[in-house]
Amino acid sequence: MSQNTNYYVSRRQQNWSRNQNTTRFQSAVKLGPVAHTVLVALMIIVLGLIYVTQATRTTGYDYEAQKIDNQISSYAEQKSELEVESARLTALETVKNSNVAKEMTTPASTQYVNE
Amino acid sequence: MKPELRKGSRSRILAGIVLAIATIFVFRLFYLQVIQHDHYVALAQAEQVKRDRLPASRGEIYALNGSTPVKLVMNETVYTVFIDPFVVNQSKEVDELRQVMKDVAGGNLLSTFEDSVNATDSRYQVIAKRVTRTQAEKIKEKHLKGVRFLAVSQRVYPEGQLAAQALGFVNADGVGNYGLEGYMNDELSGVDGKLETVTDVSDVPLTIGSGNIRIPAKDGKNIVTTIDRNIQSKAEQALADGIKRSNATDASVVVMDPNTGKVMAMANLPTYDPSKYYEVKDGAVFNNATISAPYEPGSDVKTYTMATAIDKGVAKATDTYNNTDYIKVDDRTISNATKGHTGVISFQTALTWSLNTGFVTLAQRLGNGTEITKTARDTMYQYFHDRFKLGQKTGIELANEAAGIIISPDDADGNAVRYSNMSFGQGLDATIIQVASGFSAIINGGNYYKPTIIAGSVNDDGVYMPNEAPQPIETGAVQASTSQQIKEMTHVARSGFAGIDKPGYYIGGKTGTSQVIRNGVYADDETIATYLGYGGSDIDHPEYVIMVSIHGDHKVLGGSVDAMPIFSEISNWLLDYLKIQPKG
Repeated sequence: MSQNTNYYVSRRQQNWSRNQNTTRFQSAVKLGPVAHTVLVALMIIVLGLIYVTQATRTTGYDYEAQKIDNQISSYAEQKSELEVESARLTALETVKNSNVAKEMTTPASTQYVNE
Repeated sequence: MKPELRKGSRSRILAGIVLAIATIFVFRLFYLQVIQHDHYVALAQAEQVKRDRLPASRGEIYALNGSTPVKLVMNETVYTVFIDPFVVNQSKEVDELRQVMKDVAGGNLLSTFEDSVNATDSRYQVIAKRVTRTQAEKIKEKHLKGVRFLAVSQRVYPEGQLAAQALGFVNADGVGNYGLEGYMNDELSGVDGKLETVTDVSDVPLTIGSGNIRIPAKDGKNIVTTIDRNIQSKAEQALADGIKRSNATDASVVVMDPNTGKVMAMANLPTYDPSKYYEVKDGAVFNNATISAPYEPGSDVKTYTMATAIDKGVAKATDTYNNTDYIKVDDRTISNATKGHTGVISFQTALTWSLNTGFVTLAQRLGNGTEITKTARDTMYQYFHDRFKLGQKTGIELANEAAGIIISPDDADGNAVRYSNMSFGQGLDATIIQVASGFSAIINGGNYYKPTIIAGSVNDDGVYMPNEAPQPIETGAVQASTSQQIKEMTHVARSGFAGIDKPGYYIGGKTGTSQVIRNGVYADDETIATYLGYGGSDIDHPEYVIMVSIHGDHKVLGGSVDAMPIFSEISNWLLDYLKIQPKG
C-alpha cells in the first residue's frame, strides 16, 4: 500500500470542511507504456470493428434495396402488361366481335323528347 | 555493456540501407498517392462506379371515347434474347436451348438461330426479339448458360391500325416519325435520368462513397387527342366501303368540329400497322394525305368564291347571269363540265349544277364586271389566302404538313386566266385539312379556328386535364349573313339528291371533281372526287364538317357518285352518335 506525499493545500482551496478525511488513495495497479500501447491498439481495433460492422450493415441494406427495386420493376412490368391486355380487351374490334355485340339489333326507329 | 553503433559497423550500414529503402518507399508512395492521385482515382472509379441512363418512359397517346380518354398508344417492355455461343457450346446445352426457344419464343425466334448458335468465334448473337416478359420468365427458369436478356420498350397499339397515319410510329431508336409521334417527339420522349454509383461485382449499387448521383427520369407527356375512336372507326369503315364500291385505290376523310377546329377523325386508306412499320414496302402509306398531299380542290372551292362575292356585296344566291356553257377569259375559253343549263340562271343554280361559268362571272364581278381585274384578283387572294388560309400550313400538330400554294396576283403567273381557274378550284394547291378548316370558318359565322388534334393531357395521377377551349385565330373571315347564305345555298344544292339524309336535320354540301395533273397536263382519264359538307340540327347549329376525297389510278370518279355516299354514310351515323336532335 502506498500513500501520496501530502502537500499543503489550504482548506479554502480544497473546499473541505473541518474533521473530514484528507487522505487520498491511489490504485496499486500501474500501467506501463507497453500496456498503454496494447490498450490503445485494442480500442482502435474495437472501433474499427464497429465501423466495419456498420458499413457491412449499410451494404446489406443496399442489397435489400436492390431486391425491392427489382420487385418494383417486375410489378411495374406486370401492371403495364395487364394495362395493355385490358386495353386490348376493350378495343373497338374486340367489342365489335364480342358475343354481346353480335346479339344486338339495329333500332327500328329513334324518338326524341322535345326540348 | 551499452551497445553503440560505431562508424562503419554493419549495424550502421544496415540502418542506412533500411533508411534508404524507406525513403524510396516514401517517395514512391508520395508519387503514387499524391502526384498520381487523380489518375488512380479515375482508374478506380472506372472499375467501381457504374454510370447508367435511367430511361424515361415515352408518353402515351389517348383518343376520346365520347368525352373519356382511352389509350390508343401504350408502352410495353419486351426482351431481346442473346447468347454467348462459346459458352452455350461449352455447356453442351445446345439441344435444350433449341427446344426451349422453339417451345417458348415461337415466332419471335429469329430464322438465323442455328447460325447464331454455331458462331462460336462470336461472343454475342441475338436469337430472339420482342419476347414478352412471360416468355422471358419461362426461358429464365431453365437457367441455361450463356443466355442473356435485354429489356426494350416498344409501342403497343390496342386499337390496331386505327388512325395510324395521324399517330405515326416510333422507330427502333425510339424516335417518333410522322404524325403526332413525329411532331410531338420531344414532349413524348421525356428526359432520361442518370445513375452514377459504386457497384459490387454483380452491378448492385452500393451507398459507399460520397459521389453517388441519382437523377430520376422525367417521363414523357401523355397526350389526349381530339380523335374520337368511334368516329375514327366509322370514318375508316366508310372509306373502305367507298373504295370497294368505286373500285378506287385511295381515299381520305377529315371530320372536324367547325366551332372549335377540333379534328374528330382523320383517316386515309390504304394504311398500315404502326406496330409493324418495318414491314411496310411502300413508304408512301406513312404519309397522312389529309395534311401532306396538296391537290387542286376543284368545285368545293366554289363555296369559297360564292362566299367572297356575297361578302363583298357583288352577288347573292338569287342574282342571275346568262349562262352559255362557255365563257372567255383573255385568250382562253372556259366551259362547264355539265352542259345544258343555259340562259339566264341564278347563282344558286350555278352552285347546284357546279357550273364553272357562274363562278368565273363572280370573279369578273369582283372586278369591273367583265374582266378579272387586279382588284378582283387581290380580293380573291385576300379571301382565299388571308382569311380562309388556303396555301399555307394550318399549324395542326402533325408532322410533315404541306403548305400548298396560291399564286399571288403580284406574281407574273397570278393573271386573270389563273384566277378564273381558281374561282372553280383549279390553279391552286391545297390540302384537305386546309379546305375543311376554311369551310368551317365560312359556315360557323366567320371564325377561323386553327385545326387541332390535341384535346389535353393525362397527368401522372391518370387524371385527364383538358386544354382550354380553342379561340379563333381570326374573326370576321366572312360576315354572319354571308355564312347563313352559304349554308342555305349548300343545303339547297344537297337537297337535289333526294333521300340521302335522315329527315329533320340541316345538312349541306358541295361536290368536287378535280382533274389530275400528269406530266404537266390535265389527264382526261383520272380524277379526284371530293365532297365537302356540314350537318347539324338546324341552320344555326352546324355540329360537324366532313371532307371526303377518293381517287383511283386511271379512273374517272365523280364527287356526287363516289365521294358523296361516303359523306352521307358518316353524316347519318354521326347524327345519332352525337345525339343531335332533329328540328326540321
